[in-house]
Amino acid sequence: MSDYLLTQIINQGAPLFGLILFIAAVGVPVPASILLIAAGAFSQQGILPWYSTALLGLVGAVFGDAISFGIGYYAKDWVDERFGKSPAWKSARDTFDSRAGMAVYLTRFLITALAIPTNLIAGGSGIRFRRFMTYDALGEVTWIILYGGLGFWFGTQWEVVSDFISNFGGLLLGLVLLGAGIWLGTRQLRRRTATAEISMPDEQGES
Amino acid sequence: MTPFRQRVLVTTLIIFGVVIVGFFGLRTFHAFREFRGHRPPHPFENRPAETDVELIRDWMTIGSLSHTYRTPPRLLYDALGIPPNGNEHKSLKQLNDEYFPDQPGHVLETVKAAIQGSLPPPTADPPATPVPPGTEVPPSSP
Repeated sequence: MSDYLLTQIINQGAPLFGLILFIAAVGVPVPASILLIAAGAFSQQGILPWYSTALLGLVGAVFGDAISFGIGYYAKDWVDERFGKSPAWKSARDTFDSRAGMAVYLTRFLITALAIPTNLIAGGSGIRFRRFMTYDALGEVTWIILYGGLGFWFGTQWEVVSDFISNFGGLLLGLVLLGAGIWLGTRQLRRRTATAEISMPDEQGES
Repeated sequence: MTPFRQRVLVTTLIIFGVVIVGFFGLRTFHAFREFRGHRPPHPFENRPAETDVELIRDWMTIGSLSHTYRTPPRLLYDALGIPPNGNEHKSLKQLNDEYFPDQPGHVLETVKAAIQGSLPPPTADPPATPVPPGTEVPPSSP
């Protein structure tokens, strides 16, 4: 699929690149980061004009993120009906609300695998659209400058960068999952210890 | 969420996390070693044409290759023995499937050879100007 898209980006140029980033931001599984690095390399080689490629890519990505935020917003009622009574869900939503800006910003370029889930959760949470779009646009600009810039810098050797970044993204995703597991496990353990400590004095008082 | 379900969730997250970290950690390490081995040229300098034909992939088009390697497209079409008309937007793989279906990789190898053949021979550094014995060499300015 990547190969087909790379050929089409060479042929159709920046408008198709913007469209692909839009589709990826809506949630269609497209290797957007790899294509962005390649687009940077194509710009360096003079195959694509860098300014329109960067601009259309940014517009496509931000517009797609707005759509997936909207999907989350309109699915809010269904999610609330399904999970709204769960304290864990409420706690997760409150945690997200307090750190939403940073989560939106970092998932644009650092943990890109979590970008779509973050958009959907953000849409269904209390975060305002304008705040979401501010952090989203900042994150997407960082993504385009960082990844597109690396492609531009390495030129014809862009595949080396792409290989490293793809694997590094996977490593970060694994670390996030591991961190979440350890954090939840520690929290469970603390709660259990606290419950045991509360019940202990009662038992001692009874004896 | 019941305590049992919470335990399942925590165990699943940790197991998946460890597996993914192990898998991608190794791949990242190898990719980083490869990455460090490449020194990219300055991006804003006027770069010379690419000369490494091993960077050619079968998703590239004749047009993009002639641009990158500064080779006339006509030369590549002639090497393949196919007309340029109607083939400008096709990848090397598509050209291979269409014109040489029973020879996998033929177009890629032919294009590599044609580009390699069209590249100028590597120029050696010019020899230093010989200085006759007894000639005073002026001191270099600070």
